[in-house]
Amino acid sequence: MSTTIDPPVATTAPPVQHTGRFGAVLNAVAPFAKIGMIVGGVLSVLGAFLPWVTFVLNEGAYPERASLNMFVEPFGVSGFRLHITLLGIAAIVIALLTVPAKHRIVRGLGIGVAAVALLNGIWITVEGGGLGAITAADGTIAFGAIVALIGGLVTVLAATSGGLEARPEWEWELPWWVEWILLLVIFALVLLLVAEVLTSGGQGGVVNPYAGVVFLSLLAALSGALSALSASGLLTWVGVVSERHRVFSVVVLLLCALALPFTGAGTEYWMTVASNIGVYAATAIGLNIVVGLAGLLDLGYVAFLGIGAFTAANLSGAAASAVGIHLPFLLVMVISAVVAGIFGAIVGSPTLRVRGDYLAIVTLAFGEIFVRSAQNNIAGLTGGANAIPNIPPVGVGGFQFNDSITIGALRLPSGVMYYVAIVLLVAFVMLVFGNLKNSRLGRAWIAIREDEDAASAMGIRTGPIKILAFLIGAMLAGLAGAFFAHKTAVVAYDSFRFLESVTLLAAVILGGMGTIPGAVLGASILFVLPEKLREFADYRLLLFGLALILIMRFRPQGIIADKHRKAELADDDPEDVAREGPGALPTEVK
Amino acid sequence: MSTFLSQIANGLMFGSLIALIAIGYTMVYGIITLINFAHGEIFMVGAYGGLATLTYWVPTAVVAQWYFALPIALVAGALVAMLVAIAMERFAYRPLRNAPRLAPLITALGVSVALQEAVRVFYPGATAAIPFPPLFLDGAFVIPIGDGVVIRYTGVLLIVVSLALAFALERFVERTRLGRAMRATSQDRDVARLMGIDPDRVIVLTFAIGGALAGVAGVLYGSYLNNINIDMGFQNGIFAFTAAVLGGIGNIRGAVVGGLVIGLVRALGGQYLPGGTAYDYVWIFVVLIIVLVFRPQGFFGESERVRA
Repeated sequence: MSTTIDPPVATTAPPVQHTGRFGAVLNAVAPFAKIGMIVGGVLSVLGAFLPWVTFVLNEGAYPERASLNMFVEPFGVSGFRLHITLLGIAAIVIALLTVPAKHRIVRGLGIGVAAVALLNGIWITVEGGGLGAITAADGTIAFGAIVALIGGLVTVLAATSGGLEARPEWEWELPWWVEWILLLVIFALVLLLVAEVLTSGGQGGVVNPYAGVVFLSLLAALSGALSALSASGLLTWVGVVSERHRVFSVVVLLLCALALPFTGAGTEYWMTVASNIGVYAATAIGLNIVVGLAGLLDLGYVAFLGIGAFTAANLSGAAASAVGIHLPFLLVMVISAVVAGIFGAIVGSPTLRVRGDYLAIVTLAFGEIFVRSAQNNIAGLTGGANAIPNIPPVGVGGFQFNDSITIGALRLPSGVMYYVAIVLLVAFVMLVFGNLKNSRLGRAWIAIREDEDAASAMGIRTGPIKILAFLIGAMLAGLAGAFFAHKTAVVAYDSFRFLESVTLLAAVILGGMGTIPGAVLGASILFVLPEKLREFADYRLLLFGLALILIMRFRPQGIIADKHRKAELADDDPEDVAREGPGALPTEVK
Repeated sequence: MSTFLSQIANGLMFGSLIALIAIGYTMVYGIITLINFAHGEIFMVGAYGGLATLTYWVPTAVVAQWYFALPIALVAGALVAMLVAIAMERFAYRPLRNAPRLAPLITALGVSVALQEAVRVFYPGATAAIPFPPLFLDGAFVIPIGDGVVIRYTGVLLIVVSLALAFALERFVERTRLGRAMRATSQDRDVARLMGIDPDRVIVLTFAIGGALAGVAGVLYGSYLNNINIDMGFQNGIFAFTAAVLGGIGNIRGAVVGGLVIGLVRALGGQYLPGGTAYDYVWIFVVLIIVLVFRPQGFFGESERVRA
């Protein structure tokens, strides 16, 4: 076991000179970095155990699972108190130990504490009727939120003043079977974590006044923990290990995804949500080919999902369909994909003459034409405002996909078969994307994205290859559309508006353009959040718009940054350039 | 014949409105090559700003007189829209000035969604269409051809104000020092900086002018259709962008001509082409695609500039 970096020791390391806006403050604090981190951690833990609030919400009873757990169990440690306590203790321990990159790790923990305390504090204040809810009630002082927040901020300040180290790169290689077991455990943990995130704040669908904040608080704690893990370099290491056992990882991940119905999230509601996420994830991967790989901005992409859905709806034997035939589902999927692909090629053909922003506008125009035509029930194919309802569910023999399944004593919720089907579909689409990306065609797309003229000079026939990007992307969306039609049982033009295209694009960008897991991650986030934050439903789109602006401002390369993309998008970020090295850009065609 | 003339008149009215919005698109694109998707929302915000002023801040006795209400609403709408446009430039676009091209475009989409939703959430009653008071003489000319061609006074006001503002703006850009600074910045920002021009100021000015014109357009739109809704920004914004492209982007006169063409296509296409008014928007987009594919520099575009 060895690391590539020298373990930095805070006490012996030369003092870091801070510049920038808060440089003076940081320099003043720097000598006390270690003490500061410990104090911050102690304050966080203390804050977690102080009473936070002693009121009961005006509306709604105290629910079973979603709690700001101070009503009946003032000293019970669970929920956000547990999270703050754990993060605080971890901060103290790491501050005392000699760990590489410890300041960066502790900073991540501190951010987590501060975020959790802030969220709960704000929520208590707003819902509890003013600052009084945090500070005093029943004659007792309840300032847990303030103490924990201060604890978190002190931790962050002290850690930053100690100087943030580069992320260490671990090069451990264990025996293959140890690594396999490790990966298995990690992926299983991820599965449980996903289930926990989905079900936190109570099962969806139930109106619960506490659900939103409990969920956000869990997310904040998780992002704190994850940023600490990522700072320690362990996440990168796990990535390297899973890359080493690529096939194994893919199989285990697939199994984990299929195992979701067996966890706490295995309810009909979550199966439906997960299926919808799957549809948009598959479509987002298709869009990722067009935008992420080939660099052709498409603002009307959801039309292909719509074309696939309407094609499937018409071939499904639904009473309202214009074509009165009922084909088997697999055939319908193929036909939908082909039809969507043909339209993709048509929409893509202007790329021969139009570039950049103008192409974006052309695709937008095609998208709007599609919506308008569908709204007006063009050729009787789309049902117009009446939509095409009552599309029969997919059935194999006598078994309908929306039935529930009973295996022994275990009863799986209805919709679980759709979930399995969409997981397989997404896996297939990811496989297509992954192989294409590394193929000659994929490299040609990337070359066109980087510099079309240069690509052309290198002998790439840019015209057909760009149209091919649209065609293949549209086919993937068409597949997803066929699934969508059968799952939701009703296809209406309303589902394919401009905003949906923007959401898909946002999913691709949020996740990380040109990466395989990026689109899935982005789609999951963008479609889970509204489900969990129903109480903010009025502000949903407003927050979405603001989030788009903030992402572009602070992390344009997305959560999972593609190597090329990162180099291209973050060219003014010296930290990234330094890490990648100037020579890393052209050689990394992989 | 009278139907045809009526549609021509309708088309010109709608078109001059689109032209006012298109000027903002074309100027911003000319200077920072950004498709400012949020510009349509500025138009919408202007309409709501004008309405809010009339509803909440001006005594009803004053609103009742059109010669008070009209200028107040126009100025208020223009001011609100201008301030929002300046804030948008400052906080959303300026930090991305040197970012890759995709970033500001996505940001523009984000600003568009956020503005629309902000109005919907925070303006009282904005979840549905809101009635807008008539701001001009209520009545119409009737030209005695065939069954009579009816031309509303409000429509005439629309055309006159739009063309006057466009004319004034073109004079401003052609004849004044600031206008020259704008043209210089649009040609080459770095060289303009060497010549002592502060590009940031010029860019803010561009957004301010475009915003003010869009605000005026918003108020006129409300007064013409007698109700406004939060969707008006997006649709008309896309039309206006189409108009800007038609006329040749970066060209004020082109934007006006493009706007009028869009108006005519919509009115005549809705009347005479198959599908009727249900498909009138489709024809506009078809024209857009054809122009972009076959003459991307538009009617008045100079040489084709390579835009990566």
